[in-house]
Amino acid sequence: MYGRHSAARTKLAKRFCHLASNFIPKGLTRMLHAYTSSEIEGSDFCKMSENIELNRDEGGLVREETQSNIYVKPVYTPEDIKDNDYAGDIADPGCYPFTRGIYPKMYRDRLWLKAFLVSYDTPESTNAAFKSYIENGMNDLRLTCDLPTQNGLDPDHPLALSAMFCGGIASYAINTYETMLEGLPLENTVYEGGFMNVLDAIYFHGLLVAMIENRGGDISKLLGTDIADPIRSKLVYGDPSWPTEVERRVLMDHIEYCLEYTPKWKPVVPNGIDPCQAGMNAVHELGEVIAVCTAIIDDFCQRGHTIDEFGPMVVAMDAESDFFESIAKFRAARRMWAKIAKERFGAAKKSTMALKIGIRTSGLSLQAQKPLNNAARVTIQTLAGVLGGVNSIDACSIDEAIGLPSYEARMFTLDMQHIISHEANIPLTADPLGGSYYLEWLTDKLEADANEYLKEVEKNGGIYACLESGWLYRVMEEDRLRVQHEKAEGKRLIVGLNAFTGEDGAVSKAIADCAYTVPPESIRQERIAEVKAYRASRDPEAVAQAIRRLYSDTKNGVNVSRAVIDGGKVGMTIGEVCGVVRLGYGLGYDSVDMIPTPDYVAEALKEIMR
Amino acid sequence: MAKKARVLVAKVGCDIHERGALTLINVFRDAGMEVIYTGRYQSEEGVVNAAVTEDVDLIAVSDLTGSLVIICRKILEELRRLEMDIPVICGGLLTKKDVTDLIDMGVKACFGTGSSIDECLCKVKEIVGM
Repeated sequence: MYGRHSAARTKLAKRFCHLASNFIPKGLTRMLHAYTSSEIEGSDFCKMSENIELNRDEGGLVREETQSNIYVKPVYTPEDIKDNDYAGDIADPGCYPFTRGIYPKMYRDRLWLKAFLVSYDTPESTNAAFKSYIENGMNDLRLTCDLPTQNGLDPDHPLALSAMFCGGIASYAINTYETMLEGLPLENTVYEGGFMNVLDAIYFHGLLVAMIENRGGDISKLLGTDIADPIRSKLVYGDPSWPTEVERRVLMDHIEYCLEYTPKWKPVVPNGIDPCQAGMNAVHELGEVIAVCTAIIDDFCQRGHTIDEFGPMVVAMDAESDFFESIAKFRAARRMWAKIAKERFGAAKKSTMALKIGIRTSGLSLQAQKPLNNAARVTIQTLAGVLGGVNSIDACSIDEAIGLPSYEARMFTLDMQHIISHEANIPLTADPLGGSYYLEWLTDKLEADANEYLKEVEKNGGIYACLESGWLYRVMEEDRLRVQHEKAEGKRLIVGLNAFTGEDGAVSKAIADCAYTVPPESIRQERIAEVKAYRASRDPEAVAQAIRRLYSDTKNGVNVSRAVIDGGKVGMTIGEVCGVVRLGYGLGYDSVDMIPTPDYVAEALKEIMR
Repeated sequence: MAKKARVLVAKVGCDIHERGALTLINVFRDAGMEVIYTGRYQSEEGVVNAAVTEDVDLIAVSDLTGSLVIICRKILEELRRLEMDIPVICGGLLTKKDVTDLIDMGVKACFGTGSSIDECLCKVKEIVGM
């Protein structure tokens, strides 16, 4: 489509049958021979028919900058890192400022956690998938639900139908969780909540606590994290559910509850993945994540706590296509947070300064054309995570540009990580690229540029003011447009999209055909009937009591976590919990203003709302 | 001077994926069209209402949840109910069967996740008569 590469490529593709054309190496200086499609039938090897000329420069580099437009010199030498002090700026793994990783022996002692979202159309199929993925090495159970549920809408809400099952299960209440996690341990097992906003996080954390209590277990053994990032939910999701001020207060409540009762649960994980996927470049993602971490600790300290009470910070970051830039980003993030934790917030404990990073590879980088190529993309991005010393990896599936991940594509992401560990021996030593002139220079450069960006954020009133004013969104949008224009101008080549195009072969076609497709409308209607039947099956008086308790706790400024857990136990749905909390804040029951307050909710609250 | 073509870029339901819609907005604008964007979290009825009120020449629906068949069917039904003849195209996550179903029900063009911007722009220009 663009530039000389694609023009030549299109010509080639026309002359070769697609099967042969997938195997033509670029830039060879010998003559190649073209085949006609009629000759290739039944065989990969065919007779020569005509000679074509080859261009030695075919496939040459088109840019001198990283993905985020940082200029890169052809060679780096000791001169480029002469101001870099090993003890102060790099240091051994496990030592401040943790540039090389947070553990002294890194993966030798503890491999990264292998995670990905597991969520299919029913609780039963999700449960079966969890079990088989666990058998194959998944050890970080990532929970999510479909988009309406994340928005706090039950399946029978009028806005829920079209996005139902996008992202997975409609886990509207505890009954779905009981089936979904049947036979799985709840204690001392890493769970990660991947939801949209803070109240989702509290609700699903609440369901896990409720289930442990129902099973007679010890809730202090609940292990894991929630995203619950109040900036991301607005910046990327445009979440209409909550004003940011409400999210900030509820988040602090949630953190305080977790510190007291589920201390191994990290209630907030500032997320750079989604802003980055929505457009932000690496420098801005890095700055944004660090700014959110800082804002959260600021709010936490405002409540009279110290950063050491909060403990280690966990962030989620994007492993993008640019290999070295991603590695440098993870190293720079650890160094930046260590300095802020120590110098700004006065952290005394080493563990408080050590930033844990979970990554997801870039779904956006995956292409629908020749999806087999996505295996290369995911592998390289995963490797960037490993070489960047991250602590948990969620590798995308090669079919994600086409549909939701198929079972086999998920298995590939696990096997690929086992190959990195056991065949390629990459995790044997900590930070094997540490000391590379280029990487250390790039790490310094990202840190310096992100610090400049942080100064701008401060100048504009801090991250919450930047969100409110739209400044943060404009940064994201400008970055996104730059990429869009570079692609259109052929300054950024994407194989199969604007360069090296060609038809899908048999393997790629099969990948596309196997991708999971969302269930049709009839199955969605079943879920709608199910939630209605479930509501009717509950003890109405217990539900009414739970509604009253949640409403008054919200209204009176009491920490809502316990009321949410108890509401979950008696079957309050996500829609009801969100609606009642909204009422407690004086907002309308329905965040998208399409349904009225249900009669039984109004009835339960009629005495106290008067 | 000829009237500028007006295009409504629409999103329906809880789909948060906005990058495709935002990309198209820029592309259509750069091509000299007037673009109106509904924003996210809209209903099908709301989209049609916006299209009629804004007197657009085309509705372009973007969705990455795999539900374009459901969304477009409702949009077309609503257009028929109001006896409005506004062409609808859609783009996003599509299976081969989705494309067949959508064309059968009267959607003018479908663009899967791998479509090129040029291809989409060409089709849009053709439909709006540019």
